[in-house]
Amino acid sequence: MPIFALGLSHRTAPLTVRERFAFAETTVADATRRLRESGLIEEAVILSTCNRVEIYAATSAEPQAAVSELRRFLLAHHNYTEPLGTELYELGELHSVEHLFKVAAGLDSMVLGETEILGQLKQAYDLALKHGHTGRRLNKAFQTAFNVAKKIRTETNIQRGSVSVASVAVELAEKIFDTLTGRTVMVIGAGDTSEKTARALLSRGAKSVIVSNRSHDRAVALAAELGGRAVHFDEWHTEFALIDIIISSTSAPHYVLTRAKLAPLHSLRHARPLLLIDIAVPRDIEPEVNFLDDVYLYNVDDLQTIADDHLKLRREELLVCESIIRAKAKALLTAPPGPPGSSGSTFAFGNE
Amino acid sequence: MLTDRGFFGLAVLLYGASATWSFFIWRRGFRHDSRWQYFLLLCAAVLHTVAMAKRGFSLERCPVTNLYEATTFTAWTIVAAFLVIGALPRLRFLGAFVSPVLFAMGVFALMPALDPKGPRPDFSGGLVSLHVALILLAYGAFGLGSTAGVMYLTQEHDLKFHKLRALVSALPSIQGLEVVIGRFLLCGVVLLAAGLALSPMLLKQAQSANPLADPKVLWSVFVLLLYVGLLVARWRFSPGGRKFAWGAVGSFAFVLLTFWGFNLLSGIHNP
Repeated sequence: MPIFALGLSHRTAPLTVRERFAFAETTVADATRRLRESGLIEEAVILSTCNRVEIYAATSAEPQAAVSELRRFLLAHHNYTEPLGTELYELGELHSVEHLFKVAAGLDSMVLGETEILGQLKQAYDLALKHGHTGRRLNKAFQTAFNVAKKIRTETNIQRGSVSVASVAVELAEKIFDTLTGRTVMVIGAGDTSEKTARALLSRGAKSVIVSNRSHDRAVALAAELGGRAVHFDEWHTEFALIDIIISSTSAPHYVLTRAKLAPLHSLRHARPLLLIDIAVPRDIEPEVNFLDDVYLYNVDDLQTIADDHLKLRREELLVCESIIRAKAKALLTAPPGPPGSSGSTFAFGNE
Repeated sequence: MLTDRGFFGLAVLLYGASATWSFFIWRRGFRHDSRWQYFLLLCAAVLHTVAMAKRGFSLERCPVTNLYEATTFTAWTIVAAFLVIGALPRLRFLGAFVSPVLFAMGVFALMPALDPKGPRPDFSGGLVSLHVALILLAYGAFGLGSTAGVMYLTQEHDLKFHKLRALVSALPSIQGLEVVIGRFLLCGVVLLAAGLALSPMLLKQAQSANPLADPKVLWSVFVLLLYVGLLVARWRFSPGGRKFAWGAVGSFAFVLLTFWGFNLLSGIHNP
């Protein structure tokens, strides 16, 4: 009974197509039931995220007929009548298992090595398992996929280093401060990226957020969202002695923070380190500020360069990850059948 | 059978190998676990301990009677403290910074003039051993403080100049390293003060000349004041982590470069 997969992802289909094929969370169980009712598919798991829609299935029917049934089901379910080119991919036994392992390890994700997909995959599998849509074959394949993802995460550097501006900022803070617990963050200019960065810092234990914005109302609103407090834009420097991290993203056409302005305030800090994250374009913080002792200034290009370098390091790990996946997929498909009655792993793969 | 100097020579070879390894670890950006370097230093420490034990048994007292023995004792203190601290994976990269120091101290100690044959000064007695051991342990702590200082300066430089290595390396945070430097220096100051506090009793026993005219005694007091000054300045004036780290590195460099000279000038320590 071979496993196969049919689907589309960010690699093959634009968002306009992907959104047409997306399954609403509440309809997945019912859709899987109807798919199995066709009789050709014995086990199925539907994975539907913003970047992919994939159906993993196991059948004892003739594989080509089962794939055709799966394709017909997918198009009919979403009432999709337009012509399709290479958006949909069909994967046979070995490739479908390897693909599943890659998806679980985040190797097929838009952000290489990201971990969110593993949670989504587990959720999709749990749902199918709960409704009895999986059997020994998919159970074994998915459980192995989760183990492979764990192995790759611990034995390679595929998830090492942050690849987004917000997470790079958090990582930098962790290299400067012994702990983020109890740190005070100031957000100057209530932009989207600064909000994300502040949230990321809060999630790692930062104590409080002080928001300062030209529009005080907006500052108050963001401060309320972040559980912090707002200060008037021309009074932000009165809080300077308390602050450990500043995230600046105003739309000011000139420097908001200059070395001349910061140097006298700096003495109030008793040599505590200060991390400045300038994500504004044009820049808010004069570059010369970085020459002050215990001040670490990063602008958006610096953060992006670090994120890109991390991504490059992750790509260098791809070959290692793929060789692990190939070996694990081969081992899974050639594993001898176990004794009947034991859990999910007891069933013959490949050679049955 | 190898002599004690033979065992120590082998230990120095391993320190040299570890120092070479440090270079590669540095080139790779302190990314990979340095457990092999830890193992290498552990082997070196075993040989080093055997060398010191052999010398100690042959003298029937703590082997700290000349510059060779004093230097090996200080180096041993450093490697022993590293082996304890390096058990924590996040501080294991200290080995990469300690190895070159240990290698340099080992090569220095092996210079024949530092270990002359013939009669030795009478440094027998529990009080003398305690005095010397406390002071040399203090220099070991200062040595570790300076290596933590080098770690700090490396990491701080990488953060200032936006090097990727600052993030991908497994070095601890600079604030954490500043705390580590402070603790080593405080530990060193306490040990040095305790060691020096025994001096009046020893001088009374030996009925020596005016200790205040002895260059080594004055030098030791100066070193104590130097480190106390560093700690007080940090506590009172917050000079910043970089200046504090430079202080720790510079002070230990001063100790290393002047210790042997003042020791040779000392009438009390070279009777």
